[in-house]
Amino acid sequence: MGISAAQKRTVRVTSDTGVKVRRFIDLLATVVLWAMASSIILLLAAFIAYLFYLGGHWLTWDFIFGLPKETTAGGGIGPEIYNSFYILILTLIFTIPIALAAGIYLQEYEQPGIFRSIVQFSAESLATVPSIVMGLFGLLIFVYYFHWGFSAIGGALTLTLLNLPALMRVTQEALSSVPDTLREASMGLGATKWQTVLRTVLPSAIGRMTTGIVLIAGRIFGETAALIFTAGLSLSTNHPYQLQPFRPAETLAIHLWYTHSESIVPDVDRIGNGSALVLLIMVLAFNILARIGGSFLTKRFTGRSS
Amino acid sequence: MIDAAPAVEARDKLTARDLNIYYGAFHAIKNATLAMQAQTVTALIGPSGCGKSTFLRALNRMHDLTPGARVEGNVTLDGQDIYASDADPVVIRHRIGMVFQRPNPFPKTIYENVCYGSKIHGERNKAKLDEICERSLRQAALWDEVKDRLHRSALDLSGGQQQRMCIARVLAVEPEVILMDEPASALDPIATSKIEDLIGELKKDYSVVIVTHSMQQAARISEYTAFFHLGEIVEVGTTTNIFTRPKEKRTEDYITGRFG
Repeated sequence: MGISAAQKRTVRVTSDTGVKVRRFIDLLATVVLWAMASSIILLLAAFIAYLFYLGGHWLTWDFIFGLPKETTAGGGIGPEIYNSFYILILTLIFTIPIALAAGIYLQEYEQPGIFRSIVQFSAESLATVPSIVMGLFGLLIFVYYFHWGFSAIGGALTLTLLNLPALMRVTQEALSSVPDTLREASMGLGATKWQTVLRTVLPSAIGRMTTGIVLIAGRIFGETAALIFTAGLSLSTNHPYQLQPFRPAETLAIHLWYTHSESIVPDVDRIGNGSALVLLIMVLAFNILARIGGSFLTKRFTGRSS
Repeated sequence: MIDAAPAVEARDKLTARDLNIYYGAFHAIKNATLAMQAQTVTALIGPSGCGKSTFLRALNRMHDLTPGARVEGNVTLDGQDIYASDADPVVIRHRIGMVFQRPNPFPKTIYENVCYGSKIHGERNKAKLDEICERSLRQAALWDEVKDRLHRSALDLSGGQQQRMCIARVLAVEPEVILMDEPASALDPIATSKIEDLIGELKKDYSVVIVTHSMQQAARISEYTAFFHLGEIVEVGTTTNIFTRPKEKRTEDYITGRFG
């Protein structure tokens, strides 16, 4: 130990070759990572721009609000848009209460253990079922067994089965993001579990929950495979805007697929590109709404002034 | 081992007898017996991990919320066992309030925070709630600082103000005992001294049990001190005795700074 650490320490502040190489690699890594991240933005922008280029000029009042045509050109997509929203809302009405209750129970009430693991496993298994398989299941149950035929409610129930696990997961994640110190504070003041959940945990989680729900809504809006055999490929042009759910209800996403694969109308490209663009705008709108709505509700329910 | 003063007697508000606490297989508290008196500050001191917070949390059944925690022995409040099968933790936590180590305001307004406990216990009257809010904030020496922004978020307060608000929140439900788990450890010296002054005021009406890692703090604010080490209560006595004439070698080593 002849030389102390202080004596050995270099006195230079400029870099030697070894440091320069390391700094270059560092810069390279930064550039590559940045480029990869940016390419996501670029892809989305290019995709939107291309769809606008193809379908933008078809976005007329007649197209968006008009009735579809079976054999002639000039059909619109009004009832399809209506059905997409109809099935979406119906699905959410079925899904949200079940998913919310199950998620709250698992996260707040059930200690980690066998029951929780079984429910978790079931939900994950359900989540991995391909949507076309779920569609066939819906066909057997709702269309044949219940004799509903192709119906909006059959479609909505099938979509409920499909999206229940994801929404339950969203609920659990949102609840688990609420710090335990808040639960302790509430219980420490003599609140019951339910009061704690209702007054402290849920308000703190509602922003994240809303974001999750709206993102899933976007997915439901664009779903096709599960609806082909359940909600059907047709709708009544005589009564295109019905409130009752026991009727075939072709959605926009289904219409897009149907037009391209089965339809005999001469203006397939027009309807296809226009529908694709409308669908994309809707789904994007859902995503933007999810972000804005989520942060708005977080502020609203947590009293954060900034 | 336990000197005459804190022996179990009529003035005792809260008493732990032969308390054993386990986290799974880990034996965190071993045969702890301690009497805490009314209108008195009892300090629990000891090195990190000695079990003082674990012991404190047993005094209002907070361990019920911790999976895997198990409490044996008994804790009596005015002579009644709070671990009896018919004892309701909701009632117990109403009577024995708790202030935590880090300020944990609800992400709500100051007003909503302070009135939270009263609301869950069924108070709906707006005038009554306003009154409770003001009284509690005054008691916690925070009223003058926040009276103009009661309906702003509690998260906008400084750490020290948040902690005093959390104390106000506990006071609002009018408990009989207040448990404090290192309430000033996350605060700066000025905020700390405000909390200590506040504790001095509180003991006129409440029994206060406070965990602290600061021996100076224990010496400044408490009448009785219990020294914890490795899950045991090594020595209990008046604070003066503990700090000037400790009976146990381990206590002396700790307060003179030889370990901890």
